[in-house]
Amino acid sequence: MSIRRLPEHLVNRIAAGEVVERPASALKELVENAIDAGATRIAIALGDGGISRIEVIDDGCGMTPADMALSLERHATSKLPDDAIELVETLGFRGEALPSIASVARLTMESRIRGADGWSRTIDNGRLEGEGPAALPPGTRIRVEGLFDKVPARRKFLRSERSEYAACLDMVKRLAMARPDIGFTVEHDGRRALAVAPGESRAERVAALTDRALAENSVGIDYQRGGVRLGGVAGLPTFNRGIADHQFLFVNGRPVRDRLLVGAVRGAYQDLLARDRHPVVALFIDLPGTEVDVNVHPAKSEVRFRDSGLVRGLIVGGLRAALDEAGHRSAQRPSVAALGNWQAERPAAPAAVGGPAFRASAPSGSNWAPARPKGDLFRDQHLSFDSAPAARAEPATAPIPEAVRHPLGVARGQVAATYIVAETEDGLILVDQHAAHERLVLERMRRALADGGVARQALLLPEVVELDEPACDRLEARIPELAEMGLELERFGPHAVLVRATPALLGADDVKALVVDLADDLAAHDAALSLRERLDHVAATMACHGSVRAGRILSVSEMNALLREMEVTPHSGQCNHGRPTWVKLASADIEKLFGRK
Amino acid sequence: MKATIERATLLKSLSHVQSVVERRNTIPILSNVLIEAAADGTLKLMATDLDLQIVETVEAQVETAGATTVSAHTLFDIARKLPEGSQVSLSAAEGKMQVIAGRARFNLQTLPRDDFPVIAEGELPTKFELSAAILRQIIDKTRFAISTEETRYYLNGIFLHVSDEAQPVLKAAATDGHRLARVTVPRPDGAAGMPDVIVPRKCVGELRKLLDEVDGSVEVSLSATKVRFGLGSAILTSKLIDGTFPDYSRVIPIANDKLLKIDPKSFMEGVDRVATIASEKTRAVKMALERDKITLSVTSPENGTAAEEVPGDYDSDGFEIGFNARYLLDILGQIEGDTVEVHLADAAAPTLIRENDTAPALYVLMPMRV
Repeated sequence: MSIRRLPEHLVNRIAAGEVVERPASALKELVENAIDAGATRIAIALGDGGISRIEVIDDGCGMTPADMALSLERHATSKLPDDAIELVETLGFRGEALPSIASVARLTMESRIRGADGWSRTIDNGRLEGEGPAALPPGTRIRVEGLFDKVPARRKFLRSERSEYAACLDMVKRLAMARPDIGFTVEHDGRRALAVAPGESRAERVAALTDRALAENSVGIDYQRGGVRLGGVAGLPTFNRGIADHQFLFVNGRPVRDRLLVGAVRGAYQDLLARDRHPVVALFIDLPGTEVDVNVHPAKSEVRFRDSGLVRGLIVGGLRAALDEAGHRSAQRPSVAALGNWQAERPAAPAAVGGPAFRASAPSGSNWAPARPKGDLFRDQHLSFDSAPAARAEPATAPIPEAVRHPLGVARGQVAATYIVAETEDGLILVDQHAAHERLVLERMRRALADGGVARQALLLPEVVELDEPACDRLEARIPELAEMGLELERFGPHAVLVRATPALLGADDVKALVVDLADDLAAHDAALSLRERLDHVAATMACHGSVRAGRILSVSEMNALLREMEVTPHSGQCNHGRPTWVKLASADIEKLFGRK
Repeated sequence: MKATIERATLLKSLSHVQSVVERRNTIPILSNVLIEAAADGTLKLMATDLDLQIVETVEAQVETAGATTVSAHTLFDIARKLPEGSQVSLSAAEGKMQVIAGRARFNLQTLPRDDFPVIAEGELPTKFELSAAILRQIIDKTRFAISTEETRYYLNGIFLHVSDEAQPVLKAAATDGHRLARVTVPRPDGAAGMPDVIVPRKCVGELRKLLDEVDGSVEVSLSATKVRFGLGSAILTSKLIDGTFPDYSRVIPIANDKLLKIDPKSFMEGVDRVATIASEKTRAVKMALERDKITLSVTSPENGTAAEEVPGDYDSDGFEIGFNARYLLDILGQIEGDTVEVHLADAAAPTLIRENDTAPALYVLMPMRV
């Protein structure tokens, strides 16, 4: 078999395989071009999930007819003016996208620079079909039709229209999140799917693209370390999700997926969230172009950091600092559904006060049943005797405090011996006493641990744990860090590590399982999460046993002391599992319940 | 089957037998006790959890020989609540067993005796006698160090092996990876060439309970996989842990040059007192050694500090070492004499504790780095 050079159209198709694998990736390339062209508004129209039609219209700088012809050649780009591949500042730079797309679809490109006439050029699966003048406003309009129509092998691997559309939308959301200064619209089969106005703030844009409620339940991040800047928004721990789909990382305005992010976010939210809950974050890292290599992946969805430890530390530190500042604030307002339940007028049967925020207080619901207009006096009295003991209030002697000094207000009573009712200047606060106190005890314990260091119990018979060689290398690199947490390791030949001491707090735990977990953590997240998690778990269990239980009756001064301590303790807004420790019913909400507003 | 037995006798043997039976079983018959009446006037009670089996033989008036199985815990509870001094009649027929005592009458569900599993002992080539007192000593002084961690199953028991040193000896050792306890006794006749065995924790516990009622000697027979203890009326048979006990002799320090001689009672009380303020999980006690002065101290970030001076003979260089208070208390609680020798090397090395160099028991404790 002799070796031959492949024909041009085949080369283009092979290149297309790297860059364009599905409509979403073609769309990504086109939108990135529009962004790089300096557009302020980008309109996207999709047909059948992008399979039959993708149209991207921008108001950017446009191209001359000669440039248009050249842009469809391979490795032709306007984006590396001085050939500085190490200092890429635009989203694209490879000069591959347009010819790749043009080789697997019918591509119509119309463009006009300001002060000149428009021009149109159509390429059908790599062959020029026609060109001529076109009428359009300044900017570029690109239409891709029948993607992979002539490449059945690839066409077969496309998913359903719906999931291709979802991938396209996700891609646009990521790009739109990175550039709040640009307006984006997406139409799918003639229906408006997304519209964001240009010139929004970062927080507004992130909230608009994820969840409107995020705006109220997040903290801003602005953190700098060693020439690297971290910005963005971090959702409060109580605002969590079941899957980690709302975690976004942008490096120099480029959306990337990086496993570093997953580990760093988990590390930062550790012990604020249950393990199976995930926070919502959008992080923007800005660092000098020399510190990051974007030319790793043809679709540029991965980047490589020169100092990934620094970036990781930055993310954990930045998130922690922002969450610490949030302090006790980490709580959600009662959800609309919960408020709705309050409004519903129920007959005499116990009115279940459901909804996520109030679910736990359901047994006391009957106390809130409205007086029935037709009930006779005797029966009413009987009823009120029945339901009396569930709630307890003491005469309000203390005046309502200034909201500034006491954000959690002054205790007014206790419901079901479980929830503290407090009054603030602008509303009513319900506190879950056990969850709140548990958190306070844990925070106290963690401070003590941080001061005292972790005691290590040396092993009489050092345990040999056999692992593969890279895992041992990773553990070996972290020996000093692990020793600080009480785990003393030693390298024991190429395929094993020797455990000399374990954290005394863990008792006679399964050492082997711990070390294997740690090695997995280091491989997956580049951080020794499970050791700290285990220590925290012990601390959390101790905190749980050492705290005030639900069902214990508290005096007003005890309740007030608890509220004051919550105000000054960081992270007191959620329990150890990410559930809120308190909820607020603002005066406005109460007024709504009575139809006053 | 029909037999009559005194309530006290029944209760006592049932109490031995029922503790072998696990509270929850996936195989129903394992909850039962096998009752077998023989025509020669004996009643045999037997229970098992498939790893451990106990057979107890008591005297009874047997009218009809036969056998059946009934729930061990239920029968035990019944026997416990029957009036003292009453005669209990047990009669089994047609899938039921009737228990009658005085005016109380119970009808219990039974399971066929043929389904009852019996541990096949096989050949037990090594046979020797050990006095109950020595066996009690072996168990008491080592069992606290048995590991409860299931992944290192080979540490979940007491390791017995013989050794030819100046004199032939039998050694028993247990460790959980943090501390080690070893008892050395003269080798009993017949134990020569005995295989190294690990006696599981549950067997140790049951054996210790039975030993309280035995004065003379215990017949021990074993093979590499099974062990049988004959204690008069009761016979305890257990499978052995199929694993290799680590070579513990190399962790016993021989060159610890710093010797502390101290009164175990005051030492123990001191440790116990200062440990009061230690956080419940860690319980680290620091020991500062100076010439003839030992200072025990605990610092807890939450609770505060505690310190106590304990008199002791010590004339090496001063240094500080930390221990888990619970481990120290466990060991000191086993010391019977007026002084205990603590052989130390440095703050990270294993520490040897024993009464004196002729005492049968020896303990090794790993320090805690605080």
